[in-house]
Amino acid sequence: MELPIRNLCHSFGDKVIFQDFNLTLQIGGLYGLTAPSGRGKTTLLRILMGLIPPDSGSIPTNVRYSAVFQTDRLLPGATPVTQLLFVRGGKADREAAREFLSALLPSDSLLQPIETLSGGMQRRVAIARALWAESDCILMDEPFTGLDADTLHQTAAFILAKRQGRTLLLSTHQKELLQAYPFQWLTL
Amino acid sequence: MKPANPSHRFLRGLLVALFWLGVWQASSMLVGKPVLFASPLDTLGSLLRMLPTAGFWQSVGGSLCRVALGFLLALILGLAIGILAFRFSVLRALLAPLLTLVKTVPVASFIILILVWFGASELTVIVSFLIVFPQIFFATVSGLSSADGELLEMARVLRVPGGRIAWRIYRPSMMPYLLGACTSGLGMSWKAGIAAEVIGTPLHSIGEQMYLAKVYLATPELFGWTLTVIVLSLLFEKAVLGILRRVGR
Repeated sequence: MELPIRNLCHSFGDKVIFQDFNLTLQIGGLYGLTAPSGRGKTTLLRILMGLIPPDSGSIPTNVRYSAVFQTDRLLPGATPVTQLLFVRGGKADREAAREFLSALLPSDSLLQPIETLSGGMQRRVAIARALWAESDCILMDEPFTGLDADTLHQTAAFILAKRQGRTLLLSTHQKELLQAYPFQWLTL
Repeated sequence: MKPANPSHRFLRGLLVALFWLGVWQASSMLVGKPVLFASPLDTLGSLLRMLPTAGFWQSVGGSLCRVALGFLLALILGLAIGILAFRFSVLRALLAPLLTLVKTVPVASFIILILVWFGASELTVIVSFLIVFPQIFFATVSGLSSADGELLEMARVLRVPGGRIAWRIYRPSMMPYLLGACTSGLGMSWKAGIAAEVIGTPLHSIGEQMYLAKVYLATPELFGWTLTVIVLSLLFEKAVLGILRRVGR
C-alpha cells in the first residue's frame, strides 16, 4: 500500500520548483521532510492537499488529508475545544476533545478564547486539531515553529501517540532536535 | 483624559444634558414666541397633554408598525438575497447597479412615485424598506466576502461540512458589517419614513400629526412629536441591535 507521487512538475513563473519529481510514501509511514527554504516544502504539501494544481504529474487521489498549515488558522474567539469540534464531532464529543487536548495544554486554558493563549499554545491547538480530524494522511508544515525545546518534545510525543497508524509527513528545519524519533527523513 | 468610573460618567452626562436643556430654554425665552420656538417646558407640557389620548398611541403604533415592518422585510430579504448574490456572482453583477441607483435616487422622488403608484397607506413601509434594503444587501455581500481565506482553506482541506463553515467562519465575519448597516439603516428608516408621512399624510401616523401641527402652527406639539420619534427610534435601535448581537455571538 503506497501513496505515489509521479513525474511531478511545477513552477512559479520562471522558477522551477519540481521537475519530474517522484516520491512514494508507504501508508502508515512516518516521514520528516527537510530542505533549504525556498525549495518547495510548503508547495509539495499544498499540492498534496489539493490547494495548488500541479503543472503536470500525478498525486495520490482519494486520500483524506488533515493538516497543520504554516500559520495556525484557528477560529477567532473560539476555545481550543471548539477548534477541535469544528473539524470533527458535535456537542457530545466535548469531553473527549477536552481530554484529547489536556495531554498538550494546561486544563484551565481549554475553555478560554484562543486569543488569550500564548503563540506556542495556539500552535499546539492547531497540531491537536490536525490529529483530531478524521483523515488517512496528516501533513504538517513546520509544526514546531515557535515551540521551545521542552514543548517540542512533548508535542512530538503527542503527535506519535495520536497519529494512530496514519501516514504522517511533516516538514521541519529542526531535524537535529528530532533524532530520537523514528522519522524516515526525506530531502528535496 | 483620566478614565472615568461609571458614576462619574453618569453625572457628567447628566450635567451635559442639563446644560443643553438650559441653552434650549434660554434661546426660547430670547425668541419669546412659543409659536416659533417651543421651550423645553412647552414641549413637555404638550407631550403630557398628548400622552393620555388614544390618538397619540394610534399614531405612534401606526408609524412604529410601518417603519418596523419595512425594516424587518429589508433585513430578511437583504440578508437572503445578499447571501444568494455572494454565492452567485451573476446575481451580484445584476443587482449591484440597480441597488446603487436605489441608494442614490433622492428619497423625495421615491415618496412621490409611491404615492402615485400605491397610495399613502403603504408609503412608510415601502420607503423604510427601500432605504434599508440596499444597505443590508451590500453589507451582507461585503461581510461574507471578508471571510478569512486561510480559514476557508483550512476548512476545505479538513472537509468541514458547509453548515459549520457558514456558522463559524462566514457568520462571524458578516456580523460587524450587518450591525453597522443596521445601525445606520435604523436611523435612516425612521427619518425617511416620517418625512414620507409628512408628505403623504397616511391616516394614524406621526407624520400626519406633524403635518397637522404645522398647519395649526402648534409648534410645541411639533417639538413633542419630534421628541417622540427620537425616543422611538432609539428604543427600536436598541431592541434590534440587542437581538442581532445575541444571534451574532
